[in-house]
Amino acid sequence: MQTNSSPSSATPSSSLFGGITLAALAALVALPLILPSATLATEIVIFAMAALACNLLLGYTGLLSFGQAIFFGIGAYLSSLVMIHLGAGLIIALVVAALAGAAAAALVGALAIRRTGIYFVMLTLAFTQLAYFIAYTASDWTGGDNGLLDVPRPPLALGGLVIADLEPAVSYYIFVATLFLLLFVAARRIIGSPFGSTLVAIRENPDRAAAVGYDTRQFKILAFTLSGAITGIAGALYAMLLHFAPLSNIELPMSENILIMTIIGGTGSLLGSLLGSTAIVLLGDWLSAIWPRWLMLLGIALIGVVIFMRGGLWGGIEGVVAKLRERRGGPEA
Amino acid sequence: MLNVYLFQILNGLGLGMIYFLTSVGLTIIFGLLNFVNFAHGAFFLVGSYLCFTVVAATGNFWAALVAGPLIAGALAWVTERVLVRRVYHLPHTFQILITLGIALIIQESAIMIWGPVGKSVPPPEMLKGVIRFGNFAYPEYRLFMIGFAALVGFALWLLLERTTFGAKVRAGSENPEQVALLGTNIYRLFSATFALGVALAGLAGVLSAPLRGAHPFVGTEVLGIAFVTVVIGGMGSFGGALIGGLLVGLVQSLMTSIWPQGASLMIYGAMAAVILLRPYGLFGRA
Repeated sequence: MQTNSSPSSATPSSSLFGGITLAALAALVALPLILPSATLATEIVIFAMAALACNLLLGYTGLLSFGQAIFFGIGAYLSSLVMIHLGAGLIIALVVAALAGAAAAALVGALAIRRTGIYFVMLTLAFTQLAYFIAYTASDWTGGDNGLLDVPRPPLALGGLVIADLEPAVSYYIFVATLFLLLFVAARRIIGSPFGSTLVAIRENPDRAAAVGYDTRQFKILAFTLSGAITGIAGALYAMLLHFAPLSNIELPMSENILIMTIIGGTGSLLGSLLGSTAIVLLGDWLSAIWPRWLMLLGIALIGVVIFMRGGLWGGIEGVVAKLRERRGGPEA
Repeated sequence: MLNVYLFQILNGLGLGMIYFLTSVGLTIIFGLLNFVNFAHGAFFLVGSYLCFTVVAATGNFWAALVAGPLIAGALAWVTERVLVRRVYHLPHTFQILITLGIALIIQESAIMIWGPVGKSVPPPEMLKGVIRFGNFAYPEYRLFMIGFAALVGFALWLLLERTTFGAKVRAGSENPEQVALLGTNIYRLFSATFALGVALAGLAGVLSAPLRGAHPFVGTEVLGIAFVTVVIGGMGSFGGALIGGLLVGLVQSLMTSIWPQGASLMIYGAMAAVILLRPYGLFGRA
């Protein structure tokens, strides 16, 4: 859907490998050091990847998609299937996940953008339900309710030469974090490119963007495809992390989770996506043991963000920094 | 053999009327307020659980039939005053988020109050039997449900088409400022419409409880189906909600006897087909 409401700034500055990327790198290094387990850190980074992909749509193109679980789930299922049945290696499995996620997203995007605004949102939601029931019905392939079991986590290998065994949790974390950083830099480059500026123009005013001569339809589908590819990779990495691809990967609550992470982190800020996934995964990890109904807090947090802090956590940090600068009387950056 | 299909068609009609009541509420809220209520399915769930509680406490289904929609509507009225009202002027994204938050709170509250396992509700004592037409027998409660929902639908149509309130709602969906200028308290009208729309979802929840019980996660499923209904019928259209609801109910019910596993799959397939052929729905305006 189109909104012109995203709070954060449109395109990042030209300092591609500057502050923001360094901050992301620092966060990725700090996560496993601070947290009790590398597995938890890995989960955070995987969901940060999914939130980043969601942010490309919501934050930069203004498309609110409840379809992210489709791409996440398809990435998880297909990469697992090619590893289990065809003995595919890590890189092939990830490429398959990316391609499958991209193809599904192109299809869903092309169908859903036949309508705009709220109808678009409802269509993405309905397509997630459709995908869920397909996965549920095709239980020979997906394991239905039980999920797909015994998903391998192959070593990182190039042409038969094993570079790293990813079975140890820390090795897998390093691999996932590196992949995230690469995608993060790539996403920033894409957003900074003319293509990215066009997406932002579409977000701000779709009619004007169309009047200027852009085929907004095509741009939206492309944004969807890109987002689907990244989400597919995240889904595959998640299946390898769990050694298991559950049906819940492709359920509506997964879409909601990814969206909530994106929004609580801050739409229109890629670093915000990392912040959002960290907050939600940690909240879930800590609270679910103490209070199984912690999702209620998530509901309250969502309402709070809408009413008090529309820029999310990242917007909040920006606000605090701006206030501090003001108090010091320093110049605005 | 023919009886099996008659049975499924009647079941489909009943299911369709439940879907109609749910999505017509969604549609009138959207029509007047231009607001999309992602908590709509959660209020359906409230209706189902209220039905369970009232029937368990009093043994009286009729009390539940009155209390369910009233309490759901009252809850919605308060929610509208406290939260929903603050986001009317914001883009749809924020409306969706805040109602998604409300839906999560309702779902988790339901689990806290009634537990994570679903509850079943017995049908009312006087409707426990079956009605026979020759050698065809059909449960009384299901027939009552179809008739009652049709009655409510007709009353709603009268309310919207034949009363001042309905005229204001319809005029307000065309031009809220104009209606406000003519001296109507538009905010009170908004609250009333939101409460009415949600009360219909609550009523649908009560009516379906004796058939399907009350489950904590039914909200998402109901919301999905209400969206499909609206996509098929066209948003904001009373007739669209009716035809869309009946179509979805019939497809789902008939598929149950042909390919049970794919019944839910088919309704989303039907939706995809409608989008391809008629992107604005059967009754939608461009």
